[in-house]
Amino acid sequence: MKKSLLYIRVKNYALRCSKVGTLTSLTVCLIATNASANEGAAGNSFAKTSALKAFSLRAAIKISGVVTDEKGETLPGVSVKVKGSSSATVTDSNGKFTIAVPDENATLIFGYIGYTSKEVAVGNKSSLKISLQPDAKTLNDVVVVGYGTQTKAEFTGSASKVSGETLKDLPVQSFDQGLAGKATGVSIGQPNGVLNNAPVIRIRGINSISLSSYPLIVVDGIPINTGNSSGNAQVANNPLGDINPADIESVNVLKDAASTAIYGSRAAAGVILITTKSGKSGKPKVNYEGWTGITNAVRLPELLNAEQFMMIKNEATLNSKILSNNQNNAAVPSASFFPSYNADGSLVDTKWFDEVYQTGVSQNHSLNVSGGSETTKYYFSTNYSKQEGIIRTNEFTRKSARFNIDHKLTSFIKLTANINYNNSLNASPQTGSLEGNAFGLTAIGRLATLSAPNVPVMNADGTYNLSTTNTLGMGANTVSSNFYNPAALLAYNTYTSENDRIIGNFAVDVNLAKGLTYRLSYGVDRLRIENKSFESAVHGPGFANGGQATNNSVLIDNWNLTHTLNYATKLGDKNNITLLGGYDVQKFRNSMWGAQRTGLSDSFYDTFEGSFQNIVPGTTNNSRSEKAFASIFGRVSYDFDKKYFATINYRRDGNSALGTGKKYGNFGGVSGGWALSGEDFYKNSHLAEIMNSVKLRASWGRVGNGNLANNFGSLSLYTSSLYGTVPTFAFNQGGNPDLGWETSKQTNVGADIGFFKDRVTIDVTYYNNNVDGLILNVPQSPSKGIPGNAILQNVGAMYNRGFEFGISALVYQKGNFSWNTNFNYTHNKNMVTDLFGSGSEIVGATATSSETTNITRVGYPVGSLYGAVTNGVNPANGQRIFVNAAGQQVQYSQSIPTGGSRWTYLDGTAAPAISVKDYQILGNALPTFYGGFNNTFKYKSFDLGVNFTYSGGNYIQNGTKATWRDQRFWNNSTEVLTRWTTPGQVTDIPRVVLGDLLSNGSSFPISANVEKADFIRLQTASLGYRFNPAIFGKSGISSLRIYTQVFNAFLITKYSGQDPDISVNGNTNTTPGVDKNSVPQGRTFTFGMNIGF
Amino acid sequence: MNKINFKSYIFKLSCLTVGLGTLLPACKESELLNPVPETSVAAELVFSTPTRVLAQVNGMYKAMKSGDFLGGRNLMLNDIRGEEFLNRLQNIFTGYDAWNHTINSGSADALSSWSAAYAAINSANLVIDGLAANTTVVPAATSVQYVAEAKFVRALSYYALITLYGQPYVKDGGASPGIPLRLKGQMSTTDNDLARSTVAQVYTQILKDLNDAEAGLPLTYATPTLNTTRAHRNTAIALKTRVYLTMGMNANVITEAQKLVPAAAPYVAASGVANTMQPSILTIFSANYVSNESIFSLPMAALDFVSGQNSLGYNYNTNQEYSLNPAGIYGNATWPATDARKTLVKTNTNGVFLTKYQNTLFLDYIPVLRYSEVLLNYAEAAAKTGNLAKGIELLTAVRKRADASYTFPATAVATQAALVNTILVERRIEFLGEGLRSNDLLRNLLTIPAKGTSPAVAPGQTEYIFPIPNAEISSNKAL
Repeated sequence: MKKSLLYIRVKNYALRCSKVGTLTSLTVCLIATNASANEGAAGNSFAKTSALKAFSLRAAIKISGVVTDEKGETLPGVSVKVKGSSSATVTDSNGKFTIAVPDENATLIFGYIGYTSKEVAVGNKSSLKISLQPDAKTLNDVVVVGYGTQTKAEFTGSASKVSGETLKDLPVQSFDQGLAGKATGVSIGQPNGVLNNAPVIRIRGINSISLSSYPLIVVDGIPINTGNSSGNAQVANNPLGDINPADIESVNVLKDAASTAIYGSRAAAGVILITTKSGKSGKPKVNYEGWTGITNAVRLPELLNAEQFMMIKNEATLNSKILSNNQNNAAVPSASFFPSYNADGSLVDTKWFDEVYQTGVSQNHSLNVSGGSETTKYYFSTNYSKQEGIIRTNEFTRKSARFNIDHKLTSFIKLTANINYNNSLNASPQTGSLEGNAFGLTAIGRLATLSAPNVPVMNADGTYNLSTTNTLGMGANTVSSNFYNPAALLAYNTYTSENDRIIGNFAVDVNLAKGLTYRLSYGVDRLRIENKSFESAVHGPGFANGGQATNNSVLIDNWNLTHTLNYATKLGDKNNITLLGGYDVQKFRNSMWGAQRTGLSDSFYDTFEGSFQNIVPGTTNNSRSEKAFASIFGRVSYDFDKKYFATINYRRDGNSALGTGKKYGNFGGVSGGWALSGEDFYKNSHLAEIMNSVKLRASWGRVGNGNLANNFGSLSLYTSSLYGTVPTFAFNQGGNPDLGWETSKQTNVGADIGFFKDRVTIDVTYYNNNVDGLILNVPQSPSKGIPGNAILQNVGAMYNRGFEFGISALVYQKGNFSWNTNFNYTHNKNMVTDLFGSGSEIVGATATSSETTNITRVGYPVGSLYGAVTNGVNPANGQRIFVNAAGQQVQYSQSIPTGGSRWTYLDGTAAPAISVKDYQILGNALPTFYGGFNNTFKYKSFDLGVNFTYSGGNYIQNGTKATWRDQRFWNNSTEVLTRWTTPGQVTDIPRVVLGDLLSNGSSFPISANVEKADFIRLQTASLGYRFNPAIFGKSGISSLRIYTQVFNAFLITKYSGQDPDISVNGNTNTTPGVDKNSVPQGRTFTFGMNIGF
Repeated sequence: MNKINFKSYIFKLSCLTVGLGTLLPACKESELLNPVPETSVAAELVFSTPTRVLAQVNGMYKAMKSGDFLGGRNLMLNDIRGEEFLNRLQNIFTGYDAWNHTINSGSADALSSWSAAYAAINSANLVIDGLAANTTVVPAATSVQYVAEAKFVRALSYYALITLYGQPYVKDGGASPGIPLRLKGQMSTTDNDLARSTVAQVYTQILKDLNDAEAGLPLTYATPTLNTTRAHRNTAIALKTRVYLTMGMNANVITEAQKLVPAAAPYVAASGVANTMQPSILTIFSANYVSNESIFSLPMAALDFVSGQNSLGYNYNTNQEYSLNPAGIYGNATWPATDARKTLVKTNTNGVFLTKYQNTLFLDYIPVLRYSEVLLNYAEAAAKTGNLAKGIELLTAVRKRADASYTFPATAVATQAALVNTILVERRIEFLGEGLRSNDLLRNLLTIPAKGTSPAVAPGQTEYIFPIPNAEISSNKAL
């Protein structure tokens, strides 16, 4: 509010004064302007007193000085005013000022936007050094909204703001990973420790079933490309990693429909607005920000060593023999696992974790230069980041540069340009942790767990231990493995995904008349991705083809053109009206092409460009598609006397992906606010002494969702391929010409309350988001032969209801010590209220169709966990007990005598096998509460930050535990040492029987592996020290802070798996809460420094 | 000025102000919002030219060639259910569940086999419907041929389905519940519900389609490749011998077989393509995939092949997922080393592996119907109807082709029961890895023998056939 008011006043005075038309009077005007800003409401009366009065004051004492910010950097443009008089000045571009005061008793008031104003008694000093502290509240007063900004007072929707300051030093690849726990209502889940893996972002719950629940990300006004867009099965590629977190000024999250409706159909999952830094007028400032750190995997399970492995697996072999009634049959082995020995005679006991995991070393350097004059402001930055993951060969490198410039061309034309170029290269093995990869044969996380510990990594001759059939050599064991040697995979095969990206926008603002501004903005986001994989002939997937290399090139290109007209006016003294109208068109063009070469000519070559025998065009990686949005939008904001506020947003969107006749949708929202504390009766009440500010707000809106992954989803299509060598046409997509918008109607009621002069602020919000006309990929009877067995339709409904609470407080401040805290809590309830007819349900499978793990069913949250119900282990015989659909207990034995039944009732009679029809809902997979608890302590020059995140109320299918207990030839975790061995023994690990993948949940998910996911994590803890700038003398260094930080410090949870935040299915809506063979998260320690020049 | 005009005005203004280069072509909102896909073709256009119709006909065969269907996995599932192979790696992605008889309605193999077969059926139905609706795009005679080919594809696909998901016809004359019989092309959201037809009804439709196909298919095509990769008259007849044999209708087997097999050697089809056995069986698995013995095979080419875990070559040979069971036909005393067919194996420390599909680039054609099968179908029907002499004659012809030195012991062919059994053993040798074993057991109501750690499955057990997949159960309410 202050900023815009100031702006208007500056203009008013400038206009009035300019009529005088002399240089002197202009100076006076500037002084007057700044003074009035400081005086706030009193400024109006000041205008009536003569500005010339200030000019005529006689100077008794001259005081000079310099004003700096909290980091010791000089601040230009700070207003300096003599208390009780109208004498005032501003600091120059070096932060220096000179002012005349009447006598030693005078007091100076220093004021600067965004900083707490300070009063200083002059005393007998003639030179002053003033340091201003940032005013967190004032900074928060500006809310970035769609196509503009509003003051916090005006803003009647629901938004959360995160300062870029809190993100820039985090050891993450993209800023979104750092948002966890920082914004009320925003849930950030980091699926695993694979570098540049897009986190799962949910704003007020999951708001769609088939469409993306990823929020719209807008950088400096341009909606950019998001999601794992690489089309690369091995390497994660989060396009947000192309933005240097250090360039971010602020992140604003719009949550309710009233604020997001200006983005219409793009906004159903919320909007995240990123504002990048810009220069401030004054001398150039240079900042260096750098850190270096190490990362280790945490919470890896303890695995059986070689001796334990052989003991358990031979017991399983013998059990199999006995249970199949072959105890006297010499042809059936009693043991299959035998030791291998090293050259020195010691037992081979391989720690495969050591072969796969590493201590990652990372470094990040950012340098920025900013500054400007009255007419031109610039910000230039560059970044180099090189981060190693916890998995060997996983490495992320980013090189980027940004140039932001504002230029005031004439008194009525302003130009703005932002250009960001980025090159990022991510290298990774197939970790098995990205969506769809959980069961990959090359999935390195799983290989590290299940590989036999009693065989060596390498043979004595220095070659890798491989079988003749391209698998891990099994040494003296008499069983075969179908898995690769993970160390050899890492050595011989490489996978990379590299981005070259330009995000740029150019805007011109033209002040057409008083209060009326036209803005034309054009932006491009052009992302070129090159994915490369090389798989050698020696070991791995390339073996069968004699070595292979696949390259593909992906183009993700969009442009965005926006015209807006903004008009702000006042009717009378108290009616403020702002009008916004605009037209926006955005076009996306995606294409991908590539090929695979097989049959390496010579082992010398290790790239696609080398020599091969064959080349095959990529069948799944050649594609083209396009999509466009064309929209008109408008906003009316009105307030009366800064007490009553109302905003109306409207947008009409056209979306090319929808059916003919259904392309346009109308969206909008209304919101209102009442500043109760602005009322006289309130101001005069005793309550006002405690609760100094109270604002009530409410909104209702309707937004849409047409973010179809398939740009041509409404069309029925045929595609061509080959039958042998002749061309074919085949039906490949069942379309729906009536495909229209998903709409969600959102109600939002809340209050913002400040206590003790805003020392404590609270915001509370209730929301109700009803989504209907859900676009679902409605399953079609497979017997219809429709490709994919599904067609997109608008059916179904669900809601998210919840409550948000945030509190910020300056808990303690005395002397050199202060403690600021922020706590936020979100409760969300998701419920599907309708699908496509009675009894309809959507089954969610982990890793394409491999394992049914989730179900979306009316009356339950989206993607509830699904599987077979178990009831422990039968103490009599060590068999896993299942409960069938009829409620009967059924037990399973992998090995049985000829003619017997594997499935029996507890009395031993044959029972039908447990199958999908016996599956039940095993738990809600969506967190019902989450939030953060952030603390900053300061003592003298030290600062300590302690930030917790927490989440809970949901369950996880710990499918990784099934792998850890699988009784094939796989290694196990030490949990299996408590397996059932003797009648009467009570344990939760069934009797081990070789080949048994069913009893522990590897064949299908079981309730025994479902666990509560509640956790508290110490997300970051940092300790910093700020040097006194004085010690740097004239070296040019104006500030220096050094710090050390730990990221993902520890986890408090009862979850027995690696991490309850895990999600092997990434951002997929219908399969949340599944932990299956993912690698865990890392813990990172960093040391960093920020230097200002 | 109404809103639309205002908007287009704004739009033109945009084009003027920023209409540089790339933006100009897209400067029309209706064009922007109605992009035309560039790598797919709208369904309305596929019957617009003869070339496109022909491409759809090839598309039906291509659908059958899916790796989930006859291009690989269907054959493998049918073989590994039987006793000839041992699973080496316990990998459910390469059929461990099917080998182990632990397929349930939620298993991936239960769904993928079902979906892939019905996708082929739908492609055939769409061709039949489309040609009926677009009568002028190709000449009438061509249209008749294409419909006949579609019916062949539909019949073969239904046969593959009913033998995997339906109780054997011979169990109760087809009275058991079968599978949904879809005869109309499906492209939209309607018609999800369709009740199961009985096994008999499905067979009736298969035979009707094959009879129609026989009438409409060409006698021959222009090239050996087409004679092998697309259905001609003899293809339909050959398939009928298999269908009737499965139904236990031996007289009909003989009637159909006699259309292809003359009364006496040399056994060469008298009309249409001169289908006959090649002198060496090795020819058809590597040297010449399109000989006259290969009545119907699915072609592979450098730009169109099935690889990975659906590929027979990958599973049997490259990755050695399944070794030959020493207690199965490989160890059978009646299959001596002198037999040429026994050279289609390799032995290493992991066991003995089938090398019928040995092309390292997975370019081996997948055999679906071979002339030797017609001979053995005929032989079995003859034996079962009491014509032992004919049975022995045809059986011997097949054996002698691979092992000229071999003479069947008298006991092996002396009685009807012994002869039928010997013919079944011969089929196990001749068609090892060609996907016939499961049905040979089921159509004779035999117990699926135990192998390795996988137990035996008797005809009454639910595991005897595949369950209808869960996805069908949940979306097809009429089931």
